[in-house]
Amino acid sequence: MKQILPKLQRKSVRDEFQPKAEYLVTTAYGCEQQTSLLSLRWRRQLQGVSQNMSSYLKTTMGLLVFLGKLLFSGSMSLMFSVIPKPRKSVAGEIVLITGSGGGLGRLLALHFVRLGSVLVLWDVNTEANEETRRMAQETGTTRVHAYTCDCSRKEEVYRVAEQVKKEVGDVSILINNAGIVTGRSFLDCPDELIEKSFDVNCKAHLWTYKAFLPAMIANNHGHLVCISSSAGLIGVNGLADYCASKFAANGFAESIFMETFAQKQKGIKTTIVCPFLIKTGMFEGCTSSSPTVLPILEPEYVAQKIVDAIQQEQLYLYVPKSLYFMMFLKSFLPVKTGLLIGDYLGVFNIMNGFIGQKKKT
Amino acid sequence: MNIILDTIIFLGKFLYYALESLIVSLIPKSKKDVAGEIVLITGAGSGLGRLLAMHFASLGATVILWDINQEANMETCRLAKKKGGVKVFAYKCDCSSRQEVYKVADQVREDVGDVTILINNAGIVVGKLFLDTPDHMMERSLSVNAISHFWTYKAFLPAMVKANHGHLVCISSAAGLFGIRGLSDYCASKFAAFGFAESLFYELGKIKGNKIKTTIICPFFFNTGMFEGCTTKHPFLLPIMEQEHVAQKILNAILEEKVYLMLPRFIYFAMILKQILSPKVMNVLDEYLGANETMTSFKGRVKADETQSETERKH
Repeated sequence: MKQILPKLQRKSVRDEFQPKAEYLVTTAYGCEQQTSLLSLRWRRQLQGVSQNMSSYLKTTMGLLVFLGKLLFSGSMSLMFSVIPKPRKSVAGEIVLITGSGGGLGRLLALHFVRLGSVLVLWDVNTEANEETRRMAQETGTTRVHAYTCDCSRKEEVYRVAEQVKKEVGDVSILINNAGIVTGRSFLDCPDELIEKSFDVNCKAHLWTYKAFLPAMIANNHGHLVCISSSAGLIGVNGLADYCASKFAANGFAESIFMETFAQKQKGIKTTIVCPFLIKTGMFEGCTSSSPTVLPILEPEYVAQKIVDAIQQEQLYLYVPKSLYFMMFLKSFLPVKTGLLIGDYLGVFNIMNGFIGQKKKT
Repeated sequence: MNIILDTIIFLGKFLYYALESLIVSLIPKSKKDVAGEIVLITGAGSGLGRLLAMHFASLGATVILWDINQEANMETCRLAKKKGGVKVFAYKCDCSSRQEVYKVADQVREDVGDVTILINNAGIVVGKLFLDTPDHMMERSLSVNAISHFWTYKAFLPAMVKANHGHLVCISSAAGLFGIRGLSDYCASKFAAFGFAESLFYELGKIKGNKIKTTIICPFFFNTGMFEGCTTKHPFLLPIMEQEHVAQKILNAILEEKVYLMLPRFIYFAMILKQILSPKVMNVLDEYLGANETMTSFKGRVKADETQSETERKH
C-alpha cells in the first residue's frame, strides 16, 4: 500500500495551508511533480484512510487467526474429552522423583519402573529410600538409583544433581513430589517449621528446575511434574504455611509452563497435579464429612491417575473430579455463598483431627 | 432425614446469600470510618504504598510507614503529613528479615500502639526468564513478597485477635492468579501470598463472632514504575492502569470490607474462563491477549541500593 502513495515533501516550512503554496510531491517512481493544495489534501486523506485500513486489516486478520486457532484447539479438546488421549511411552526415560521414600513418591516409582523407565530416587530418609529401591528392583530391573538428598538445601540439590548427571544421565521426567506439612493453626506454628515447610514444598522446586531444566531445553525433551495439592488451589484453615507453599509451587510451575510455551519449546511438557487428601499417613487424622464429593483418596488410585496424566501430557490434574466443578464455582460465586458451600461440605473441619505422620525414630 | 433437612436449610441460605449479594452489588456499600485506626503499610516508600499512605492520612488514620529505603519513606511521611495526616510514623524495616520485622514491630507497639489495619504491600520483581534469574534474587523475591507476610501476621495478628478488631490487607497480583512468562519468581511469591491470606481468612472465620476482616487485592500492571517497560496488547481488556485509580479502588475495597478485589474487571472473567476452558484453548487466548509478551520489554525500577552498589564497585 505504501508504494502506491506518493511521499510528501514540503517545499516551504511556513503554514501549510497557504492557498498559493506549491508543493513538491515525489511519486513512487522518483519523479517530482508539482501539485496543488487541493490535490495534496486529497492525497493526505487517502493516506490516512489507507493507514486506518491497514490497521483495521491487521486487527481483523489477528482476530480471524485467533478465532481459527480457538476453533481448532476447542475441537481438539472436545475430541480428546470423548476418546482417550494416546499414552506416550516412558520406557528408557530417566525419571527423578523427590520424596520417593514413602507415600505417593514410592507408588509413582513402582509405576514407572514397571513402564520401563530408569529411576532416580531422592529422599532425605536413606532407609525409606533404600526400601523403595529394593521394592523397585523386585520387578527385575537394575536401573534404579537412590540418593539421599535434602531438597530444601540448594547446595545439596545441585551437588546430588551433578552426581546424577554423571552416573545416570540427563533427567527427562522430573517429579517434584517431596512435601511436608505442619498442620497447626498459624499462630501456634513455630517460625522454623513454617520456613522449613516453604523450603521443602516450594523452594526445592526452584533448585531442581535450575538443575535439570537446562538439559531438557538443550535436548528439547522433558516433562516437568509438580505435585501440588488442592490446598494449592483453595486456602484451608489450619494449613496456612502448607497452602502458601503449595500455591507457590503451583504458580511457579504454571509460570515456567508459560515460558516454555512462549519460547516454543514444544518438547518440554508440564503437568500440575492437585489432589485432595490422600491416605498416605501424611494427613493422618484428617476427616472429610462429604466422602462422595470430597473423598479421602486411595494412594494407588491417585498414583495411577498421575501416571496417566503424565503419559497423556495433561497440563492440570485435579483429583477428585469434583474439584474442577468447585474451582469453577469459586471463580464466580460471591464469598458468602462460597463459604456456605464450604460449610455444607465440611471443608472447614478437615484439619480438626490432624495428627500427621509419626516420624520414624 | 437429617441430610434432607440440612440440604433444605443449605439451599435456603444459598438462595438468600445469592440474592443478598446481587442487591448489594447494585446499591453502593457504605464505607467504614478509619479515623483513629492504626494503619501499617509495608513498602510505603513509593508507588502504591505511598498513595495508600496519603489516602489513609487524609482519612484521619494513624499511619505507620515501613520501607527498606529510609529516604523514600521519609518523603512519604512528609507527603502524608501534608495531606492532613496528624500521626504519621516512618520506620526503616527490611520485611524479608524475620528478626527485623519482630524488632520494629515491638518498637511500633511501644511508640504507637496495636496495629489495626495491616497492609502487606512491599514487593519486588526480577523480571527475567527463570534460567536467567540468579538464585539469590529468586529467594529475595520470595522473601519480600510472600514470606514477609508470615512475619507481619505473626507480629500483629495476636493483638487483633485479642481485641477482635482488625483488617488484614494482602496486595497480591493478577500474577498471583495466572502464571506469566518472565515472572516465575513473582508469580510463585504472589500465588503464595494469595493462598496464605485466603487460608488465614478461613482460619479466622472459624472463630465464633470473628470481626477481623480480610481483603486480598489482585491488580494487573499499573504505572508505578515497578513494571516499567511492560506492554499490553489489548489495552481495552487489560490496560496498564493509572496508579491513582488503582489506589482509589483498593482504598474503597478496604473501606467496604470486600474480600477479593481484581483489577481490571476482565480478570474476574479470565478466572472463570481458566476453570472452564481446556489448557489448549486457554493458551490460544493467552497468545491473543499477548499475556506472554507483556514482560519482553520489561525494564523495571532501577533500585537505589543497586545503583549505590554500582558506584561502590567502581571506586
